[in-house]
Amino acid sequence: MDKRVIFAVAGSGKTTHIVNSLSFEKRSLVITYSESNYNHLRRKIIEKFGYLPENITVQTYFTFLYSFCYKPFLHYAWRSKGINWDVPPAFTLRLRRTDRRFFIDGHSRLYSNRIAKLALDNVIDDVRARLEKYYDEFLLDEVQDFAGHDFNLLKEICRSDMDILLVGDFYQHTFDTSRDGPTNKNLFHDFTRYQKHFSDIDITVDKDTLSRSYRCSSSVCAFVMQSLGVNIESHKKEETGVYYLDGEKIFKKVFYDDNVVKLFFKEHSKYPCYSNNWGKSKGLDQYDDVCVVLYPKAFKAYTSGNFSKLPASSRNKLYVACTRANRSLYFMNEADIKDLKTR
Amino acid sequence: MKYIEKLKLFNFKRFDDFEYVAREKRNIFIGDNEAGKSTILQAIDLVLTGSRSRVENLGLETLFNQVSVLEFLNGDKKLSDLPRMAIEIFLNDHGEIWLDGKNNSDEVTCHGLKLVCEPMIDEYGQEIESALANEQALFPFEYYNIQFSTFSGQLYTQNRKFLNHIFIDSSLIGTEYATRQYTKSLYEANTSLVERHQNSHAYRHTKATFTSESLVTLNDALDATKFDLKNDGKSNLEQDLMITQGGIPVAQMGKGKQCFIKTEFALQQKEGARPIDLILIEEPENHLSHLNMKKLINEIEKATQTQIIIATHSNSVCSRLDLHNASLISPSKKDPVSLSDLPDDTASYFVKAPNNKILEFILSAKVILVEGDAEYMLVDGMYEKLYSEKLEDTNIHVISVGGTAFKRYLDLASLLKIKTAVTRDNDGNYQSNCVDNYAGYVGDSIQVFSETNNANRTTLEKCIYQDNTALCDELFAAGRRTLSVEDYMLSNKADAALTILDAGMDRLEAPDYIKQAFEWIRG
Repeated sequence: MDKRVIFAVAGSGKTTHIVNSLSFEKRSLVITYSESNYNHLRRKIIEKFGYLPENITVQTYFTFLYSFCYKPFLHYAWRSKGINWDVPPAFTLRLRRTDRRFFIDGHSRLYSNRIAKLALDNVIDDVRARLEKYYDEFLLDEVQDFAGHDFNLLKEICRSDMDILLVGDFYQHTFDTSRDGPTNKNLFHDFTRYQKHFSDIDITVDKDTLSRSYRCSSSVCAFVMQSLGVNIESHKKEETGVYYLDGEKIFKKVFYDDNVVKLFFKEHSKYPCYSNNWGKSKGLDQYDDVCVVLYPKAFKAYTSGNFSKLPASSRNKLYVACTRANRSLYFMNEADIKDLKTR
Repeated sequence: MKYIEKLKLFNFKRFDDFEYVAREKRNIFIGDNEAGKSTILQAIDLVLTGSRSRVENLGLETLFNQVSVLEFLNGDKKLSDLPRMAIEIFLNDHGEIWLDGKNNSDEVTCHGLKLVCEPMIDEYGQEIESALANEQALFPFEYYNIQFSTFSGQLYTQNRKFLNHIFIDSSLIGTEYATRQYTKSLYEANTSLVERHQNSHAYRHTKATFTSESLVTLNDALDATKFDLKNDGKSNLEQDLMITQGGIPVAQMGKGKQCFIKTEFALQQKEGARPIDLILIEEPENHLSHLNMKKLINEIEKATQTQIIIATHSNSVCSRLDLHNASLISPSKKDPVSLSDLPDDTASYFVKAPNNKILEFILSAKVILVEGDAEYMLVDGMYEKLYSEKLEDTNIHVISVGGTAFKRYLDLASLLKIKTAVTRDNDGNYQSNCVDNYAGYVGDSIQVFSETNNANRTTLEKCIYQDNTALCDELFAAGRRTLSVEDYMLSNKADAALTILDAGMDRLEAPDYIKQAFEWIRG
């Protein structure tokens, strides 16, 4: 039985690694955190086999949580009517953890970040038995997005009698939707301690297999390693540039160039150009040249060559944005183009 | 193999709380009219079909348990007391994750499907409350939700077939609806989804070819307005399909023949085809001759890959398919009474025995077992004379059984707690024939009545003659040459009984042991 967590870097072929490990011989359950990654993985599997084989199930984490863990075992007693995605009201944190109101709102909707706790406290044995009965291996992408109770549930699931493969990129932790009070609050503060969570429960920590990027050139990797402190190497031989765009003529040209995607910290749709947000660009691989637009504080950090003052989540999003580049990486100061804003 | 392991009904028609543990192969429901045999088949069919519109068309008013509805309306009418209706079908574990979970009233992880009708209190609480506030409030069926879901908590519709089943309802045989349903389910059972798509496509193609080739001359002569073939919900392959035998549409055959062919066809196990997992058969005897009935039973016996559930009134269906598989449904008992505990030799006796009165016996509350036809007639007559009421107006049945079969019936009587009086001749040895012989049976619900005199009161006829000598001489003495009156009565039992019944019943004195039997059975 192999239980393993692979820490990968951006563009190192996480999805490909997972898809390659699938076959007709094993019953596999593949879980992704985000909807976009779910579609991506599903498409890749269909590309490999020509269709989605019956022995392979792909689900987003919340589908898994709701219809695999919650519904079969808890729905009869709890009778929920869907999921409430908002942060639970503060008073609920003072409730006993056995109180129905801790888990479910006035409209009978389960609080999304507490479903895992509900399952963990009541039916974890049933969940493991169901996994072992219907699957031979459990594969999970985007492990870095599991926080709060979800992370605790994941650890318990890993104790199931089956092969476990978790894949993720610690520095791409950008979603914080699973948080719940003090539960695993500091989980992502320190990479070394994060790894220990896995080794403590006998999961092999693998940092080699997916440590080199197929997407980013060695120049981009060098920049990321230097300024963001992420250990990333490249499979690519050729060098590409990392440039800062200065002068109105140049940044206007790039701004209106639809071959270069402009990645904003947020609200990219307010700019009339080919664009996206840093966080939302996670998992995307279709960009050649990327232009990262720096908001004032990030711009300051960039000029000083030190990003450590930025909040970790912003840093991680910046890492995501920079590593979208298949070719060149450009930077632009948001203040320079604020006049181009239309919406 | 997929099969039903258990059925639970809550507030469905006659059953407020019912449970039936099914047998893997054959299940026979026996019971009186209105006992609820058909209801059980209907419940299974509804859940397996998963059609909301079917439930809506039948109407919740007709499906809901009337007692619960009335109880609610006559009570406090609290929202929280609104009854819910549910049908739960527990299936064997066949590795289908979509069916697997704890969403059942046992709260046990297993495979299953259910239909639940519940009031939508969260959504319409206020409306329901104001509807109920009325003094003459009607039951708020409009605010009930109809939901089909699996035990894993997933909803399903009629598009998802978890179990391949066919319902052969002989009361509906011949109706267009039933024929279509049957054809459709058989077609679906024998084809894959892909095959069906291919067929439908080919069918449309054929129609298009017909238009372009055969209607072409007609259409060419016309301007913009042309003739074409329909292709819609009412004219498509599935609507036009029919089943034929020897070139003759089955729907055109007699009802009996249809019932037979339909069952036989459903039972055919095509190599490689998805087998029919379950056949529900409603009173197959209705349209079948005795001979066809036997053939049908043979076909059913041969089917090994299919679970069969039959509701029947027929002695031969229930006894030949092995009484061990039978369950008695009766309005007086909450749950079905299974005959699976019947001793094996008794069950095999009824499989092999000639025409028997098994169902009449099973469905009775009180029975007087007699030895033969003469006894049957006389006991009937004597009862009427003594109590001035006809036996058929009481709940006491007289059943004539060959002497050796008494114990077979008594096995059933002890299992089903049927109050049974055995009246028999002592045949010259009261202790051995009438006491020791039934040692294991006699008790609160079974008693044996017989003459104790081993010398000259050994048969019913002798007793009658001795107790009614004058009457018998008057009836039978005329024309006797070689035989005495008593001997004549003994050697012509049935004729003598008939004569007494016709001419002397009002004066006949019943033997004491018969009277005792009557008193006991009435008590």
